[in-house]
Amino acid sequence: MSESICVLPCNGLDKCAGDLSRRVALELAQSEEVELICPVLINQNKSRYEKALAAGTLTVIDGCNTRCASKLAGDLELAIKEKVNVSEVAKALDIKLGVEIRDDQDTQAVVRAVLEKINSSAAEQAESEFIEPESIEYNTFSHGKFIFKVPKANYFFNENDCWVTVSGNMARVGVSDYVQQNLSDILYVDPPEIGDEFEQFDDLGSIESSKAVFEIISPVAGTVVAVNTGLNDAPEQVNESPYEKGWLVEVSLSDFEEDQDLLHDCPAYFEFLQRKVAEIDV
Amino acid sequence: MLGNKIGVISCSGEECLGGTISRLAVRKMMEELKPGMVSTLCLPLFIAGDGGEREFAEKYPTIAVDGCSKCCAKRAIEKYSNAVAGSVDVAEIIGAAKALEKPLSTRNLTDEHMEYVKQTADKTCQIFDEIIAKK
Repeated sequence: MSESICVLPCNGLDKCAGDLSRRVALELAQSEEVELICPVLINQNKSRYEKALAAGTLTVIDGCNTRCASKLAGDLELAIKEKVNVSEVAKALDIKLGVEIRDDQDTQAVVRAVLEKINSSAAEQAESEFIEPESIEYNTFSHGKFIFKVPKANYFFNENDCWVTVSGNMARVGVSDYVQQNLSDILYVDPPEIGDEFEQFDDLGSIESSKAVFEIISPVAGTVVAVNTGLNDAPEQVNESPYEKGWLVEVSLSDFEEDQDLLHDCPAYFEFLQRKVAEIDV
Repeated sequence: MLGNKIGVISCSGEECLGGTISRLAVRKMMEELKPGMVSTLCLPLFIAGDGGEREFAEKYPTIAVDGCSKCCAKRAIEKYSNAVAGSVDVAEIIGAAKALEKPLSTRNLTDEHMEYVKQTADKTCQIFDEIIAKK
């Protein structure tokens, strides 16, 4: 770890997973580059940590899927660089944590695995083979105070409002302007792992704002070859440029011709979105 | 008998040793001293607003166990739910300077620390008994 890191664990008292989040945080805090953030004190006195948060990045460690630490960070509008869920790491190791707080081989293995996950640098990714278009033109429509934009061509959408745009056998996936406006300020992007293989409509990570978590439903089948690492430091790019700088994942396509049968092209999505917005009265 | 309708909330304890002691004292009370008789409430969950913790503290007497004079647990209960039924400040038991030392992992605790845990748990149990006696 070369830059300073602020670590915010959930510190749950009721479950073993919460206790492990604390153990991981205390291990990390052995390093002088790591500032430990108390999830309770920051809620009461944010200024106590303002300097540290301004100088470093934030890693959140949630014990369980209640995700208290993430929610606290979201409520305080803190940008999260990395997030780990102790229960999910334990599940991947086939270890059941339960309620009882214990220090045994299983819990030590989970602590080690969480530490490794936090300490490992992002997987190396090859230089992008995706050729970006020079410029993208948009159609727009307004509803109330909202103005929604949809590209005029070369993008395809599923009905979960995720898009794909293709360059040869490579494609980029992202979320529509409608999604980013619904979520409001995006604080964190949780991408898939490079090398992950997935089918059309599989879960391809998530994006999170202080309002909600949005699961990215892949419009295509393929293999992850790159993720937009620029979003680690600037997740707000999804808000500012959802179809261009805010792309989420780059994939090697399996069979786009087949996938395309279940996608809307730009004019069709434009109409679909107009109907959707009118129905739910955004 | 109120039984497990008395809540105990410890501070989250990442700022100082007092927080570590408060957490362990609440666990000790729940597991050894008053098993099945108290409900521990998770403070981060309480603040996040999920899980019924706030509603519990509104309805039932709840004791705050704080690691230092910042009194995060007590202040949170009063902010989000109700007046506390009692409060313990670890700093008053082990001294402010000691309480403000760095937080520790459970495995690094000494006999001295465990004695602090016992004293804090005993003090919390005393408040618990007083609440029961009033009912």
